[in-house]
Amino acid sequence: MPSGFKSGDIPLFLFNMSMEDYDYLFKIVLIGNAGVGKTCLVRRFTQGLFPPGQGATIGVDFMIKTVEIKGEKVKLQIWDTAGQERFRSITQSYYRSANALILTYDITCEDSFRCLPEWLREIEQYANTQVVTILVGNKIDLSEKREVLRQRAEDFAESQSMLYLETSAKESDNVEKLFLDLACELIREAKQNKLDNNDTAPMPGEGKTISYLTCCNLN
Amino acid sequence: MAAEDLPSEFDVVILGTGLAESVAAAAFSRVGQRVLHLDRRSYYAANWASFTFNALLTWIQQHQEEPQPEEVQDWSSLLEEGEELIYLSQSDSASIRNVQVFCYTSEEDEEEEEALNTTEEEPKPDSADPQAQTEPGPEEASHTEGDEPESLQLVPPAAQNQSEPSKKKISYAHLVREGRRFNIDLVSKLMYSRGSLVDLLIKSNVSRYAEFKNVTRILTFRNGRVEQVPCSRSDVFASRQLSVVEKRKLMRFLTSCAEETEEQRAYNGRPYMEFLSDQKLGDNLQHFLLHSIAMVTEATPTEEGLAATRHFLRCLGRYGNTPFLFPVYGLGEIPQCFCRMCAVFGGIYCLRHSVSCLLLDTHSNRCKAVIDSRGQRISCSHVVLEEGFVGADRKRTNTPPRFLSRAVLITDRSILPTDSEQQVSMVTVPPAAAGGPAVKMVELSPSTMTCSPGTYLVHLTCPSIGPAHQDLSPLVTSMFRTPESPDHEGPSVLWSLFFNMADGSGLEAEGHDLPENVYLSSGPDAELGHDHAIRQAESIFQKVLPEEEFCPPAPNPEDILYDGDTLGDTADGETGDTIGDITDKPPPPERRDGQNLKSE
Repeated sequence: MPSGFKSGDIPLFLFNMSMEDYDYLFKIVLIGNAGVGKTCLVRRFTQGLFPPGQGATIGVDFMIKTVEIKGEKVKLQIWDTAGQERFRSITQSYYRSANALILTYDITCEDSFRCLPEWLREIEQYANTQVVTILVGNKIDLSEKREVLRQRAEDFAESQSMLYLETSAKESDNVEKLFLDLACELIREAKQNKLDNNDTAPMPGEGKTISYLTCCNLN
Repeated sequence: MAAEDLPSEFDVVILGTGLAESVAAAAFSRVGQRVLHLDRRSYYAANWASFTFNALLTWIQQHQEEPQPEEVQDWSSLLEEGEELIYLSQSDSASIRNVQVFCYTSEEDEEEEEALNTTEEEPKPDSADPQAQTEPGPEEASHTEGDEPESLQLVPPAAQNQSEPSKKKISYAHLVREGRRFNIDLVSKLMYSRGSLVDLLIKSNVSRYAEFKNVTRILTFRNGRVEQVPCSRSDVFASRQLSVVEKRKLMRFLTSCAEETEEQRAYNGRPYMEFLSDQKLGDNLQHFLLHSIAMVTEATPTEEGLAATRHFLRCLGRYGNTPFLFPVYGLGEIPQCFCRMCAVFGGIYCLRHSVSCLLLDTHSNRCKAVIDSRGQRISCSHVVLEEGFVGADRKRTNTPPRFLSRAVLITDRSILPTDSEQQVSMVTVPPAAAGGPAVKMVELSPSTMTCSPGTYLVHLTCPSIGPAHQDLSPLVTSMFRTPESPDHEGPSVLWSLFFNMADGSGLEAEGHDLPENVYLSSGPDAELGHDHAIRQAESIFQKVLPEEEFCPPAPNPEDILYDGDTLGDTADGETGDTIGDITDKPPPPERRDGQNLKSE
């Protein structure tokens, strides 16, 4: 008897995600021009580090941090661009099944602000329609070199129905707030969706990954 | 986003982002090679790409236009002594031909009443004409322009569409409006759950970038009817088409063919068909086994037929009741996943950027650098080229060149509706006439995130005899309702696309007129699985780095876990690796995965 045939009805290694120790899992994706401080924001939040003269993030796919919000454990999976933004070559698959997008620019760099509409076009094309987007102006520790006025960024964010926050990865200003606010918003949406029962896109972990093998039996 | 210059030195330069090139890129980068990965196109995955409906219309338009004469720029001024240039081809016209589009649904949303009263759909005269050949209808042309993403913001939430009864006919305007919900693959393949692609995805941890759906059923088209093929044990017992005797025979056959027997060997070299018919299985079972399980032709030798049957059986039950998986958002995701892995390990990516020529060191007969489309000289030790970049005079291919015939249909319901609207079906269609090509058909439901709610996406593929429309339209009219088959009770075709694509299996592995450190990779082949591309990538990798492991597991990000309350401290008292440590010394593959793979 071929072994595959025998086991036809029950996959042998059902790995149940719900056994893991968290109530929510969210995928958060960072985008924005090269050099605006995306990686620094992630490292500051996940490791509490601000690496001076940090190089490229070789070999690190995404970072994980579990936070507790109102008694619920929330696991945040935070994805960085892997440098593909440098020549405007981010893969579409990077945006898939992201629950939230952090669109980052550098307040001391007008050009990084002017590119935002281009990034928004990519978001509209490839991201889930229900994705939560937050605009982040980073590097407020360099306020003497500021090129983009706060009011201008706020107006822009409002016109695009995005949240807006200014941060400093270096001084750890608002970094914690950024991710915790996002987590709160995502929980709120998740609860709302559960009520409406109109989920259209698979949540990470809900779909099937072939290593976890959860997805295949849930059709 | 300014036009920054590329670094000027790499170990490997790879041109083209198809599956084989992308797998090779990930493999090189993973073991520390500095990789530059370019594609002249504005999208990833070359002829393996998936497109939104609107992006597909743009692609169609590009391939219906006459190819522009190539502007060859003279870079000989960049040459130093002892160097020669090999110019690469820059147009992509050769691999796609005979693109034809037909729209069988109304242009605009119809009024509710009108939709109920009209029973017959007027095909659009300009595009419904099968003689239209490669002339794009004016309407198609105009639609491709109006697809600014701004308008897509207005897409209503899916819940609204689902709550409406699907009686209202879906219009062309609706397809455009819902365009971003489509992910239409240029190739149609499935992933064998124990095939080389799935094995590689798991082994390398690239699987973390994608999610997959099971193909939920195998169907076959026989005597004008679509039937379900029982293939798992539970299918066999639940089957209503099979008699008790047939069920027993089928189970006995499937059990017995797992091991090679003396009896089977006696049939080596003789057709599998003959072997099957001597098993006295009856017409039904013979059809299922030959066409749907082994998926071979009547002339295939017994040993090949049995090997294919065993492969099918081995793949059953790993993830579901059929041997196949399909990536959510389409096959075009897969090359991108490997590109991401390459980038994570430092590979540099640049779309809309090409290599104009190779710079040959005449003394060593090796390619020492490439000149990119902006005239920058980039030195490298090895070059991998998608074969389309190399002129026919320099490469060895099968003659005459082989092509695939492809059709993509958007339909309004499944060819075999069930209670579940989320079926993903593999449909085997035996040759209409002996010796003709068998057609492989895949029907995708919206659950795969490749089509909008209320529609189905149907892919047809066969080896070409003639233009795709000629090869496949007879089957389309015999299975679906179209203006040529107005009385058919099957699903209605709303929109269809036909084209031919070069068959990547025609490229020879060796013997090209190129420097020894330049390697060619090819586009998709006609097989259902992905073995050809994976083999090609692995073989290129091994020629360059025979000592290195091909795609070892990437470290697991879960190993860098930080506790929420105490910044900087690691969770659960585990030793916290710094990023540097992890890069230097990748941890062993995640135990969970390893067990999944081996414990069977």
